[in-house]
Amino acid sequence: MVDFIQALGSGILVGLVYALLGLSIVIIYRASEAFNFAIGEFLVIGSFLFYIFFFDLGLPLLIALPLGLVAAGLVGALVERLTIKPLLGRSPLSMTIITLGLGFFLRACVQLIFGSHSYSFFLELPDITQEYGDLLFLSDPIWAGMLSLCTFGLIIFLLFRTRWGLAIRATSENQAKAMAFGIDARFILLIVWAISAACIAIAGIMISNFGALSSMSAIVGLRAIPVVLIGGMDSIGGALIGGIIVGVCESLAGAYIEPLGLIGFKDVAPYLLLLIVLLIRPYGLFGEVRIERV
Amino acid sequence: MLSIENLRVVYHDVISVLNGISVTVNDGEILIIIGANGAGKTTLLRSVAGMIDFYDGDIIDGDIKMNDESIKGLDATDIMKQFGLTYVIEDRPVFWYLTIEENLGAASFSRWDKKVKTDMEDVYGLFPVLGKLKHRKAGYASGGEQQMLAIGMALMTKPRMLLLDEPSLGLAPIITEELFSIISQLNQTGITIILVEQNAHAALDIGTRGYVMETGRIVLDGNARELLENEDVREFYLGSGKKERKSYRDAKRYKRRKRWL
Repeated sequence: MVDFIQALGSGILVGLVYALLGLSIVIIYRASEAFNFAIGEFLVIGSFLFYIFFFDLGLPLLIALPLGLVAAGLVGALVERLTIKPLLGRSPLSMTIITLGLGFFLRACVQLIFGSHSYSFFLELPDITQEYGDLLFLSDPIWAGMLSLCTFGLIIFLLFRTRWGLAIRATSENQAKAMAFGIDARFILLIVWAISAACIAIAGIMISNFGALSSMSAIVGLRAIPVVLIGGMDSIGGALIGGIIVGVCESLAGAYIEPLGLIGFKDVAPYLLLLIVLLIRPYGLFGEVRIERV
Repeated sequence: MLSIENLRVVYHDVISVLNGISVTVNDGEILIIIGANGAGKTTLLRSVAGMIDFYDGDIIDGDIKMNDESIKGLDATDIMKQFGLTYVIEDRPVFWYLTIEENLGAASFSRWDKKVKTDMEDVYGLFPVLGKLKHRKAGYASGGEQQMLAIGMALMTKPRMLLLDEPSLGLAPIITEELFSIISQLNQTGITIILVEQNAHAALDIGTRGYVMETGRIVLDGNARELLENEDVREFYLGSGKKERKSYRDAKRYKRRKRWL
């Protein structure tokens, strides 16, 4: 029982980070109708930008973090301007393919600049390790979970309580209609990509903090795929639930199935779960109910 | 005053849709544009509203002037902000997944200020049914309610000129009538209106002047009253002309292929 709760708890904490990754996929999908396959590279670039400000320049965390996020946002905006905007009005599929190519390109850039070796990455956050009897939750995952949850809340507040959020939601639904009513759809898309890149950077920094940072960290970004497909591609709440489900599934598989001799099953389990979910609900668990009128 | 001079528009660099159109719109009038499907009415409105490049179209010739100032090539948002020109695109351009209140809020994005709330109340005053449904998602509203919402949203942008693209599309006759009376009410408050319609009779009834478009050209223009009396218009758009005037038809530039009336 203790094992179970332990696995569940750590699963939820990691799941919250995955949820943030899922959210950044979802907001782009809703706005551009494209799936951002370059998420892993965004994650690495965001983390490296933070790395430069925090470790290389030695700025204090409270300055380095916002600077890193702004820089990551600018990279996201630049990518949108250069690759997605020229495709406005074309099929969303071409944007999705572009992001695939972009992934390779960005990965090569990162390897050129930073090399492919690992960088040690350690944030000196206050120790908030929780220990209850036999249960032990380490400080880093708790910080990661909390920060991700805060960011998630912030994004939801932005989307549902501010006028910019209203404009983003309107543009996400239909760019032509939004433009006709005086919303600058192109600028809104730019903002959405920037926000998404910043969210991915936060998740990236938290994940790097578990271990080290290298260009191979990009693989973690792919965890967002089962998250959004389980939760529903266009559902923000679905990203949260999907993230937690994937995190828990992974950690339970790690605790119960891997000891049976199936080493590495932890990484496969979310995809198996994804298959089952898609068989039952092809739109994902919380895919938006489409308003159909005849 | 809006004047469109010899406008030519192509889509995807090859499909020529407008072949030299000149239209003038005087301040304070209701201008009606009628024409068959594919005549280029919507393209004309898109060009004026600055949204043509979004649909991969290009203005290759001619000019669009608002009070002698060219607005060709400006962004849709700039045209709206500077010239108070709002384009209500066809087929009820409301955001289905936002509530009616949020829809009105989204439409006032470009001019967010303290008066948005009172303007919303004004829209609810004009369309009481919207006030009752304001927390409902717009996608679940009926066709007439959606079209009223679309016009309400256009009013939230504080327009001086409204471009309405087939507001009567898919609405019951009685709702169309209500809608058109609201449109003439709006006109009396000083908003210039350009109305593109398939429902020629109802439109010409409230209009001051009208143009008839055929395959990217203006083939007829005049006072709304004159157009209502015109033999060609009666035959092709009002369905009440005399059918046996064969010799006259030969003289016309366009062929008979209007089966939708």
